[in-house]
Amino acid sequence: MKWLWFAVKNVRRNRRRSATTVLIAVVGTASLLVGGGFVEYIYALLRRIAATDSGHVILAHRDHFAMAEDVPMQHGLDDAPSAKARLEADPRVSAALPRLQFSGLISNGDKSAVFIGTGIDAAGEFRVRGSFLWKVTAGSALAARLPEDDLPEIMLGNDLARQLRAAPGSTLTLLATTTEGNLNAQDVRVKGIYTVGVPDLDRRAVLVHIATAQKLLLTDRVSTISVYLRRIEDSDAMRAAMGGLFPGRALQTWRDQAFYYRAVRALYNRIFGLLGAIIVVLVLFAVSNTIGMAVVERTREIGTFRALGAFPAQIMRNFVMEGLVVGVSGAAIGTVAAGLISFALGRSGVMMPPPPGYSVGYPLLISRSLELYLGAALVIVGASALAAWAVSHRAAARPIVEALAHV
Amino acid sequence: MASHATSGAARERGEAGSAAAAVAAPILLLEGVAKSYRTGQVTVPALRGVSLDVGLGEFVALTGPSGSGKSTLLHICGLIDAPDAGRYELLGRDTGRLSPRELAVVRREKLGFIFQGFNLVPVLTALENVEVPLLLAGAPRAERAARARAAIEAVGLRGLERRRPDELSGGQRQRVAIARALVGQPKLVLADEPTANLDGATAAQVIDLMRELGRTRDVTFIVATHDGRMAAHCDRVVALKDGTLA
Repeated sequence: MKWLWFAVKNVRRNRRRSATTVLIAVVGTASLLVGGGFVEYIYALLRRIAATDSGHVILAHRDHFAMAEDVPMQHGLDDAPSAKARLEADPRVSAALPRLQFSGLISNGDKSAVFIGTGIDAAGEFRVRGSFLWKVTAGSALAARLPEDDLPEIMLGNDLARQLRAAPGSTLTLLATTTEGNLNAQDVRVKGIYTVGVPDLDRRAVLVHIATAQKLLLTDRVSTISVYLRRIEDSDAMRAAMGGLFPGRALQTWRDQAFYYRAVRALYNRIFGLLGAIIVVLVLFAVSNTIGMAVVERTREIGTFRALGAFPAQIMRNFVMEGLVVGVSGAAIGTVAAGLISFALGRSGVMMPPPPGYSVGYPLLISRSLELYLGAALVIVGASALAAWAVSHRAAARPIVEALAHV
Repeated sequence: MASHATSGAARERGEAGSAAAAVAAPILLLEGVAKSYRTGQVTVPALRGVSLDVGLGEFVALTGPSGSGKSTLLHICGLIDAPDAGRYELLGRDTGRLSPRELAVVRREKLGFIFQGFNLVPVLTALENVEVPLLLAGAPRAERAARARAAIEAVGLRGLERRRPDELSGGQRQRVAIARALVGQPKLVLADEPTANLDGATAAQVIDLMRELGRTRDVTFIVATHDGRMAAHCDRVVALKDGTLA
């Protein structure tokens, strides 16, 4: 007989009570894992959105992020093709994509609207972003190259297209201030209509080839170069390497630009942290109650063991082991249950409603990471052991004669 | 008010067959031991300056009416309670100088306990119950099993090792408790009303068993009892009344 076997036997003394406690530990573990898995999935999704939107590392003019421009592209980057080539020579880099941010008016002849445009390397952007961030709802994506025998192509955000009553094939005019401070106009043809899932952006968004934007603004500069890496974990190292490669330029990682991700993470950490704490407290109370009742029922037995020469620490160890038996059983079953629930939810195709500010929902998926599973199991097992220790240490130190006289 | 009893005095009174006591070396020595309990605002004296010595291998009965202090004296002798005053030497060591941990070690290595209600662990088998003191002492598995089996055999329960207490009769349970008390090869066994919950025939068997084991293993027994038959089998009877030796 070992003490562990003794603990198992003791846990089985009152099977219904122990089963209820194990069930609470199971529900606690599964809740932590499913809730935590959902949060991890949301974080991973938002990380991916943020990094895919901005690029993992963003290279810009020294004053680009900090100071306002007097004229368009005052803080733009010169020599973008050379920088792109140097960056893409790094094996960690999957693409270095120049972007040109600009704004102005877009008109169908009868009606004008403000737009926020982005000049892009169409082939590269659609390769790295694909349909993940830009969902084409009508027409098609920009071609890899500018059309030689037709007007330059543009893509319009859903709501902007609706405002201008534009459809694929429509001709519109872009008006913007050039780098010299003059107004310039460019006729363009609508190639496609898309949504980014955020109504505020869909009301203003315009995508054009970067050459079209440069021609409109009379510049050969770009606003930024977004560097996409094969592994998001390399972001900080790449930023450091780029610091040496491009001295005097401004650099940010996707995390610096991911305001929404940071805000959601801070909010969810608090909400789910609180829920997790409540679950742990519930498990603590359940195990405390079970072990506490066992301690009272077995007070005379504790006295007997002490009379036979047991140290108080040995008595506490026995009860802690009983707490561990309950906690480990609950955590093990809860882990399996969480795995099954996560699998079932993943297969169910359930969609979550759109988050605030978004127009599209996202699938309900639950991440299953080893760290999360180990962490949650350890928390439940630790809480069970702690609860058992807390309720048994006084009983273990009780005078032996008192304990033996307990009825 | 102090009272004193020695094995010599007992022999003079001829209260029991004293062959063992005649050759006894002192194992236990109490001098002026006093103990009182506080109940609310009232302090109740349980022992009033009791002096007693018990020799090695003696079989001593503590008798007296309820409230006379025999259980208190037994608890002090068993190191599970401490006197308020007086001196208690066990095997030549002043127990008042021992730390709680040292007291636990002495209980584990030198003492055995037999309780009126048997105090067996209901989820353990007879063999496992007997193993408990060895398990507490950290004895290796093989040694534990061998010694527990030998103790079970010594009390005549061979074949019943795998039975749990609720599958045993009262007499068999007390035999398991005796085996548990003796498995650690103690020098002193303290028994609190060991026959109180047994019928007459079974009680007689248990008494005989304890006497036999005490004799063959050179173990000192101190038995608190109301049972006249039990007292009649002891080398010496120490009678208590109102916390003093009668």
